[in-house]
Amino acid sequence: MDDTTSAAAEPDRLRLLRVLGPAHVWALGVGIVLVGEYMGWNFSVGKGGMIAGLMACWVAGLLYTCVAMIDSEVTSTVAAAGGQYAQAKHIVGPLMAFNVGLFLVMAYTMLEAANAITVGFLLDTVAGMRGQAGLNQQPFIVLAIMFLAWLNYRGVLATLTFNLVITAIAFLAIVALFVSVQFGASAVPLDFSAITSDPLPYGWLGIVASLHFGLWYYLGIEGTCQAAEEVRSPARSLPYGTMAGIMTLLIAATMTWYICSGLMPWEYLGQAGTPLFDAARVTGSTGLMVLLFVGTAFATLASANGCINDASRAWFSMSRDRYLPSWFGAVHPVYRTPYRAIVFLVPIALIFALGAPLDQVVTFSILSGLLGYTFMTFNMVMFRNKWPLGKIKRGYVHPFHPLPTVVLLILCSTAYFAVFLGYGTQLSAMMCFYIVASLWFHFRRYKFVRRGDQFTMPWPKPHGY
Amino acid sequence: MAYEPPKQSFAGQIFDVITLLVLTIGALYIPLYLGLAGAAKVPDPIPDPTWEALGQNATEQQQWVALGITDPAAANDIITARFDYSFSWTSLIVMAVLVIGYFVMVVRLSDREYREVIEERFGTKRR
Amino acid sequence: MWDILEYAAWALSALFGVLMLADLVRIDTTYDNELLISSREGEIEATAERHEI
Repeated sequence: MDDTTSAAAEPDRLRLLRVLGPAHVWALGVGIVLVGEYMGWNFSVGKGGMIAGLMACWVAGLLYTCVAMIDSEVTSTVAAAGGQYAQAKHIVGPLMAFNVGLFLVMAYTMLEAANAITVGFLLDTVAGMRGQAGLNQQPFIVLAIMFLAWLNYRGVLATLTFNLVITAIAFLAIVALFVSVQFGASAVPLDFSAITSDPLPYGWLGIVASLHFGLWYYLGIEGTCQAAEEVRSPARSLPYGTMAGIMTLLIAATMTWYICSGLMPWEYLGQAGTPLFDAARVTGSTGLMVLLFVGTAFATLASANGCINDASRAWFSMSRDRYLPSWFGAVHPVYRTPYRAIVFLVPIALIFALGAPLDQVVTFSILSGLLGYTFMTFNMVMFRNKWPLGKIKRGYVHPFHPLPTVVLLILCSTAYFAVFLGYGTQLSAMMCFYIVASLWFHFRRYKFVRRGDQFTMPWPKPHGY
Repeated sequence: MAYEPPKQSFAGQIFDVITLLVLTIGALYIPLYLGLAGAAKVPDPIPDPTWEALGQNATEQQQWVALGITDPAAANDIITARFDYSFSWTSLIVMAVLVIGYFVMVVRLSDREYREVIEERFGTKRR
Repeated sequence: MWDILEYAAWALSALFGVLMLADLVRIDTTYDNELLISSREGEIEATAERHEI
């Protein structure tokens, strides 16, 4: 605080607490995403067949590697809570930032709701197996959200340490299943004959269509940058944690595809609710079944937990700039968390978790994420143009500059088309939502925003302005 | 000379939050109410299903049994269901225009606002 | 058994909700709102990192 760059700094200002290390960043990123391996990704097999599922897994992996590279460079330089929101504000402009902030809040709140629904579904399954049909899922959905919100309210270090532990267990459960199946623990052998007998049931179009759910393997890894104001050394920890996260996920995704495709007929896999748990059921081993049940439960909780963390950071940062009512931009004086944002988002998540069907919620989440990735492409180009290399200090510089951006743009366009195949109505409804919200912001809300204060980085004037 | 925004009243803050909420919930539920949501797989069951007729080899039959489905008739719908990927070019073009138009609009309006921000932060433009 | 669990889940949810709300009200009445919303973006730069070469 005693530095000279921040002229407005006063001695008694509240800030978020800077306590996290790279392992927490990894836990936040992987924790949100790993649930995608436990449920949801397998619809890509349903949309295009077994091979299409694997291609979608790797193509989406490539897309997210580009996302991680681009994000690491920008976020190691624009290190502020709100992540991509703060990036957009400094690089593209206020309206874009407002939209990106909304993408983040929507994507994470919807994903949180989807996770809570899954917790309820899983408990219902277990109750059914123990002879209690028709469990009332609502109390458990509410409890999951309430407990995690309370944990988030009490402080970020405990929240993400909790996430680190349960994410690690969920990841090891996948590895354990893979290793034991490899060493013959399964009563039923692996069978990949569908690859030759029924390679592409929908032809090449199926590969494109399956990309829609292929995104599920990795959706949310970009959430690592939300923690920027709470990491001890953002310029180092964020790229490190994000890259380690994407590598973990590529390994987990490929193992998941291999086990599930080998142990289940693709027609079943394409519509399964909890594919890894089902794979464990096929092996016939009770130990594996219990392990994968625990893994599924932990993965969903870790994801919901990370989502509460990220959505509240985005909401908080937008309020701090008065894009939203400034009341939400408060920091808890003891726990140093954005406590009003956390509390406010609880009922919103409950509305979606208790009222909307799962696939709607999931599609809304995927689409908001996809819009965010599209934003990253031109954001990156503008970042390098406005502040060329060497003009400001970057924590990390990604190699082959225009290439990841171009690849990302091509893959995003393909993904839009994939969503369009079957979910076109949702796509238009959502575009209309964002257009109306943008107009609302530009013509009504923006008048409450202080212009110059939005630019907080100690950078020189951008090139060309 | 910096732009000084008006101070927003508490009621105004609540009003703004409610506006956003209504928009969000509307976007999620309107397609649902209009019955336009979701892509359904259509099953095309075959008569007298056997595992062989459904194209399941010996290992796959074992897997179905392990999943708790012992009767081929029960798997008939799951195995024969397929998506319909036919689409109209018109709606594809409308979609593309909507997505591209949205990004163009946001970036252009943002740029206008961004110039104000830079001007206020760094002093007058040199252009 | 499951009925009891359901009630327990409701009770715990209410407990966490009340804990959060009570603390929120307590903090809001104890501290000045101007202090609570005094956080500003980018103070990281001021304390730890300088973007200059």
